[in-house]
Amino acid sequence: MNLDLHCEMILDEYREMRPMFMHMKDVVSAEMGRIMKENNMYVTAMEGRVKTEKSLTGKLELKGHKYATLSDITDIFGYRIITFYTDEVDKIAALVEKNFDVDWENSVDKRKLLDLDRFGYMSLHYICRLPERLCDSPEMHEYRFEVQMRTALQHVWATIYHDLGYKSDIEIPRETLRNMHRIAGMMELADSMFSRIRMEITDYRRRVQSLVADGDFDHVPLDGDTFRSYLELKPFDKLATKIATINQAEIYRDNLMPYLKLLLKLEFKSLGDIERLIHNYSTDAYQLALHQISGTDLDIMALSVTLQNLCCVYVLRNGLGMTGLEHIFNALGGNPQANHMRAERLFNQAQQINII
Amino acid sequence: MEVKINAEGGKTLVELTGRIDTTNADQFQKDIAPLMQGDNPDIEMDCSGMDYTSSQGLRLFLMLQKSVGSRKGKLVLKNMKPQVREVFDITGFSNIITIL
Repeated sequence: MNLDLHCEMILDEYREMRPMFMHMKDVVSAEMGRIMKENNMYVTAMEGRVKTEKSLTGKLELKGHKYATLSDITDIFGYRIITFYTDEVDKIAALVEKNFDVDWENSVDKRKLLDLDRFGYMSLHYICRLPERLCDSPEMHEYRFEVQMRTALQHVWATIYHDLGYKSDIEIPRETLRNMHRIAGMMELADSMFSRIRMEITDYRRRVQSLVADGDFDHVPLDGDTFRSYLELKPFDKLATKIATINQAEIYRDNLMPYLKLLLKLEFKSLGDIERLIHNYSTDAYQLALHQISGTDLDIMALSVTLQNLCCVYVLRNGLGMTGLEHIFNALGGNPQANHMRAERLFNQAQQINII
Repeated sequence: MEVKINAEGGKTLVELTGRIDTTNADQFQKDIAPLMQGDNPDIEMDCSGMDYTSSQGLRLFLMLQKSVGSRKGKLVLKNMKPQVREVFDITGFSNIITIL
């Protein structure tokens, strides 16, 4: 490659300053990691790179006359943050503004550059300086760097576009370019749909939490989210305390989430169904526990005994018999042969206390 | 109560024999102490010789389960006699500890 003297001088400056840029990369990477962690931001990827000599030479060959010195080239060190959702680009941009000195004159929001009827490269580029507190030499503050922020889909499009077009030696046919821009339109739509879906899920969770908090259980469908919220109300504590009193037992608060699968299998549709289970069958569930543990010295019990006994009593009272009990135990796991014996034993106990 | 501990491959195999009750729970705790540490957190306990466990025994199984879980391992109890299994069932401990 043939560079003129001016460009050769810039290249010499680059060779001299490259170790500083490598150090800048480490400092910015650490600072970005800290900022993301402190603000609970989860992103797809964060990556930094210092431009290679070959890449800079190519740039200088094409437009070296634009730059007076190396410090006019703002992407010798570049940092990229790739987000899941479009609105996160703006949140991260705000954090970058707060923690670095942004050169507004040279920063570009490429998302706003496109005409309304065009689709293409969408990314937010900030030209930044390190704040003095992070610099251990004047050069670290003098040389600027670029921060690119975009979504994962924007990143995929930009990477492929760059690979196919920008780096290619041949001119891309017009139809191929049009196809690339059609894909950009689809990606933009997909990004917008993902954000919308996330918002809908957040709204749904808030609505459900509010219905649960208001005790409007019949209007809350039973699923993983709603059951988890419901358990926060400690609906089985009253029965647990009553059972624990039999032997002055300690209650070990185990995880009740595995029971969700069983409740769905029993065709419980809403939290209201669980409320009715507690209301209608707590007495029987207590009687069963009383029969099982009153003659023992067992003074520890798991909270799940409540739900276990409620489900057992429910299937027995609804005529599902020993098979119903076996289904319960098999749904909760364990050895089918042992579950069969357990069902048989419990069925006999239930007969003795007239639950059947 | 007798506790035999053997390492086999990546697992720790334990044989339990006798009763765990108030008279020997402290000894049982000492016997299983080596299982609460080390790089071999996958534990398989053969309970075919175990005749009974009291609440103290259940607490120690729970402690072991937590220790094993914190080291990303698994505790499995096997071949339990029906009367021992009943203790685990009626206290809800069979929902907490894997019993095969």
